[in-house]
This record gives sequence, structure tokens and C-alpha cells, in this order.
Amino acid sequence: MVDVGTTLEIAQASQLGMKALGAGLAVGLTGIGAGVAEMGIGSAAVGATAENRDMFGLALLLTVIPETIVIFGLVVALLLLF
Amino acid sequence: MLRPERMRRLLIAAPKGEIDTIISELYRHNIYHIEDFVAESEAPEALSIGHPLPGASDAASALIKVRAIENACGIDPDNVEVRGKLPASKVREMIRTDLPAIQKEAEDLIGSRSRLETRQKEHEQRARELEPFAAIPLDLELYRGYARFAVFTGHVMHDVAIDVPHEKYFSDKVAGNMIVVVVQNEHREQVERTLLDAGFQAIPVPEETGAPADRLRAHNGEAQQINGEIAAVNQKIAGIRERHTDFLVACDELLTADVERAEAPLRFATTEETFITEGWVPGDRADRIREALEKATNGRIYIEELEVDDDTRVPVEYENPSFASPTQMLMDIYARPRYSEIDPTLMVAIVFPIFFGMILGDVGYGAVLLALSLGLRKFLKGDEGRMLLKVLSYASISSIIFGIIYSEFFGFALPWPALIFSRHLNIGGEAGGHGPQVAELMIVAIWIGILHITLGRILGIVNARRLYHGRHATKAAIANAGWLGTMWGILILIWSFYAIPMMPDLTGFPVAVAVGVVLAVAGIIGIAQENPLEIVELPTIISHVLSYARLVAVGLSSVAIAMVINFIAIGMMIQPQLEAITPVGVIIIIVGILVLLVGHVLNTALGLLGGGLHSIRLHYVEFFTKFYKGGGKKYNPFGMKSKFTEE
Repeated sequence: MVDVGTTLEIAQASQLGMKALGAGLAVGLTGIGAGVAEMGIGSAAVGATAENRDMFGLALLLTVIPETIVIFGLVVALLLLF
Repeated sequence: MLRPERMRRLLIAAPKGEIDTIISELYRHNIYHIEDFVAESEAPEALSIGHPLPGASDAASALIKVRAIENACGIDPDNVEVRGKLPASKVREMIRTDLPAIQKEAEDLIGSRSRLETRQKEHEQRARELEPFAAIPLDLELYRGYARFAVFTGHVMHDVAIDVPHEKYFSDKVAGNMIVVVVQNEHREQVERTLLDAGFQAIPVPEETGAPADRLRAHNGEAQQINGEIAAVNQKIAGIRERHTDFLVACDELLTADVERAEAPLRFATTEETFITEGWVPGDRADRIREALEKATNGRIYIEELEVDDDTRVPVEYENPSFASPTQMLMDIYARPRYSEIDPTLMVAIVFPIFFGMILGDVGYGAVLLALSLGLRKFLKGDEGRMLLKVLSYASISSIIFGIIYSEFFGFALPWPALIFSRHLNIGGEAGGHGPQVAELMIVAIWIGILHITLGRILGIVNARRLYHGRHATKAAIANAGWLGTMWGILILIWSFYAIPMMPDLTGFPVAVAVGVVLAVAGIIGIAQENPLEIVELPTIISHVLSYARLVAVGLSSVAIAMVINFIAIGMMIQPQLEAITPVGVIIIIVGILVLLVGHVLNTALGLLGGGLHSIRLHYVEFFTKFYKGGGKKYNPFGMKSKFTEE
């Protein structure tokens, strides 16, 4: 015997849970993506900076470009949660 | 302001007889940026590079000596506090009389220190070799000199049983265990195999006599004693530093100036009787140096002002109000502006602290960073470090102001509700009010992005006219306008389809759709006429605007961390224990306080990194890419501001 009220509550609660899961995934996966993308750029940028100090500005700029991905993830997560 | 200081290009020619006067006059004024002369081989009447003045090599070798002593004593002129200026004549006198003695003293001390260090290393090495043998109760001479026996000494994984007649010692008291086995020569190979199976690694027997433990003690004692002697020598070196730092840095400065002056002719063009030099002087000071040179040489000089033709050759000096000048360091990290382009330092100086405050808006963290930036000023003596600290202090003041607006203090709420939008998350179920207004904050951040990028593109249009000439300039300006049009076209289209809070609602106006489409299409055409490949960059319009969401996102994460720390430390550890104090409870309270301290220290560091890096990144990546070229040469006047000496 299933109580209709409880089922609704469960559905709502699981919806909340799903939202939280989705938000977590959005940040986590984009974080991994940004990390993988920055890995190569970062190591090359450090090498270039070691060769020539003046490269630092450009190197920093190139390194942080993929970071936008994780910001998108964070935006999506915040929109999901609030 | 908004553009680098105006420069004037001077050509100075004079007979060689005046070279001394002119060089010292230029050096004294410290405003003339010398354009190095490069000999062109195809020039008809060959101008050649000048020769250094007499005395150059003497000054250079004396300078090398002074620098060597400074190095040995660990003196860094950049970090020496100025305690008063020495007269130059007195320093010159002392270079002749005192310097050789100081040099000898320093060299002797350094020499004896390195000899002592070598000896100390030897003793330590011996001690290390002896260490395993100290665990075996045999004198060292007993290991050697057998005709009919083989001796195995070394590390082994575990004790082994040997099935031939033998004498064996094993100890597991030393790292890697120690085994000593003595067998008759005929069993040698068999025993070696057994040992190797147990991971045997041979170590040689030290060439010494007596009980290993005694020898070990002797060597260690010796090393200890030498350590004391080294400390004594270091004390003496510190004594030199104490007594002579002022003199040494003064020497360094004076001799550096001498060398620079004496080598200046290497940057001039000379003929047989005259020399010519070209250089740059800030516009408002050009007349002054002209008069001074004419007066110093009694008119035996020819100065002409040349036209500025190529802007890449002009040295660039910032011209900003004093509150913005520390920000020049952030500009230099990226690139110095070109001579003819807009210098955005002032804009960065205003917007950077605002972004930082928006991200780290917390009275507590702001106050900690402000105290840090003021406190560190005593310890950092370099120019760059000081400028960075100034930038940080402005940023932290802004952080405090935003903290008051957001009503945040180390993640707690201040007695008033947030003045604009609240960032208080509902962590630990304590937050009252209406919770965080994330959507509103996000829209504010997007608005900031739209305006910032619009400003960047407008500057791009202005810069295009300044940097390029003729048709290229027009094309570049139109392309920038095209980017602007596309962005606003897309925005109007979005607004005419969706009603977004705090943004214009154009859903009821079909005209808006048309305007949006026209703007976007015209913009794309504008972009394509300069370079069709740029079309693939179109998505960056959206990604760059959305990127400003980090102003909220990074800030919220820092708030969340602060609240979590407070909840764990106070809500979960300290408060429940306070209700009924027990001995265990006291420990938990202490641990809770530790968690609170460590957590907030970490979050301060994170906030500094996050706030600083993200704000500067928004400038470098989102703002500068719209208009800024950079790559100007640094203005480096010939001369020196004397810190330690005076004429």
C-alpha cells in the first residue's frame, strides 16, 4: 500500500538530490576538463617563462584561458541550486 | 594620464674634448635615454663606436672587488636601509686607503671558512662510513690482512645461515642491517652466493684502526668542533657586514656610476674629432637639459630636435596620478604600453580594487590583508615589492568596503542586513533573511562584464586610429565597432525573447528583434571585412561576458568556505562542549579553535590568490585583448638617483 503524500515527498526530495548531484557534476567535470586543458599549456608556459621572464604576462594569459570552462560549470551549478 | 609621457628626440653633437663634461652633465640630470649607436657598414663616411674614457677598466675592476666582498658578506644594496649619505670625495679617498684592507680581511675569512667546511665534510663522510661498523664488536684492524680468509662486510636484508665453517656477526640496529662473515678462501664463492641471495651489498672497511665506535665518536666530535669554528668565522664576517655595509654600498654606487659614465662613449657614434649621440628626453624637461648642456660647454655643442617617426623606437614612461602608479607594476607584468596607444593604467587602478572587493568582500579578511600589506612594508625594500603591497592595500580597503555592503565578517553576518545583495549561504541552518541572492548578483556581474567589454571595444576603436595608418586604421576601427555591434545585437535579441530580471525587457517589441538582427549582421560584416577568419572567434563574445560571472562565483566559494569553517569549528566542536564542560570537552574546544584559526588563515590565502588572480585575469584576458597591444620599450634614463653618496 503506497501513500500518495509520501510518494510526492520522496519525489520532491529526490528532485532536490538530483539537482545537487547535477550541480556537483557540473563543477567537478568542468574542473577536470579545465585541469586537463591547463596541464599542457601550464607546463609549456612555465618553460617559456624560465627562458624569458618577459613571457610571464602572456604565459599567464594563455594558461588561464581554459579556466572559463570551469566558470561555466560553476555558473550552471549555481543556477541549478538557487 | 591615459597616455605615456610625451618624449622629445634630441641629437647632440660636440667636439670630443667636451665629452667628459657632457657625459657628467647628462648623468647628473638623469633624464636622457640614450639610443645606442649601431654602426652601419654601408654608411659612406664611417662613423664608429666611441672608446671608453680613461679609468674605465680601473673602476670596473674595483667594482668587481667591491661586489665580491658584498656577495661574500651577503650584502644586497637594494635591501640596505639608507642611514645617511657619504660624501663622494670621502668615499673615493676610502676606496684607496681602506678598501684593500677590507678586501684582504674578507678574502681571508672566506678562504678559511671554505677550508673548514671541506674538513668538516671529510669528517662527516668518515663518520657515515663508520656508522655500520660501530654495531659490530670488532676492532677495525681485525678486518684486514688475512691470507687464508675472506671477509665479507655489508648490508643484508635479513640474517642468513651459512653451512660452512665460519665466523659471523649480524646486527639489525643499523639502517639496512649489517653483516660480517669470515670464511676460508675455498668457501668464498659459495658464501658469496648465499649472501647475494639475501640481498647482500658490500661496503668497504674504513682505513682506520681501533674500535669503530670510538673512531665514530672522534669524527663526530671533530665535526662538531669545526662547526663551532665555522660559526666563529661567520661571526667575523657578520662583523665586517656590521662595520662596513654603509661604506661598501656607497663604493658600489659610486663605482657603478663611474663605470657607467666611463663606458657611455661605447653607446655614441664618433668621428675623428667629434661625437654624436641620439636620445630621448621627457617633453617638459627637454629645454632645461638643453640650457644646462650649453652652459656647461660654453656653447661648444650642437643640439637638434629630431622628429618622432617610428613609435616602436620611443621609450615609454608612465604618466599617472600618484595613487595609480603602483598599478604600473601590474601593467609591466603584462606589457608596457606602446608610445602612441592608450595607457590603461588608470582604469586598471580603479577597476582592479573594485573587482577584488567584489570577490573578497569581507571586513575581516580585508582587515587582515590590509594589516599584512602595511606590516610587510618594513621588510620589503625593493621597489616592485612595495608597489605590489600598495596595490594590495588598496584592494583590501575595497574589500573592507564591500564587506560592509555585503555585511560579512569572517563569514559571519554583521549586525545589519546586506545593503545590496546578500551572499549569506544557508550553511549549518543558521542563516536568517532571504538567503543568497545568487541570480541577482550574477546579473550584476554580467552587467559589469558587458560595460567593461564595451569600454574595451571603444578604447579599441580609439587605439586603432592611433596605432595604424591609412586604410588599415579605418578597417581596424570598423572591426572593433563590428565586435561591439555584434555583442549588443546579440544582447538585444536575447532581451527581446526572454524577460530577464534587472535587464531591459524587450519581449513586447518586435522592432527590437529587427534592431538586434541588423546590429549583429552589420557587426559580423564589420568584423569580416578586416579578417574573415575572425568570424570563428564569435563565441568569445558570449564566453567573455559570462566569464565575469566569476566575480560572484569565486566570491561565493570563499564565503562558503568561511561559513563551513565557522560551522565545523564553532557549531560542531566548540558550542556543544560549552554547555557542559568536561576535560575531554576542553581538548575538543582547543582543537576547535585550532580548526578555526587554520581554516581562516587558509581561506585568507585562498581569497588573496582567488581575488587577485581572477581580477587581474579579467583585465588581462577579457579587457586588454579588446584594445591593448603593448610592447613599448622601457624608458631608462642615463644616470642614477644616488641613495648612499652625494657629490
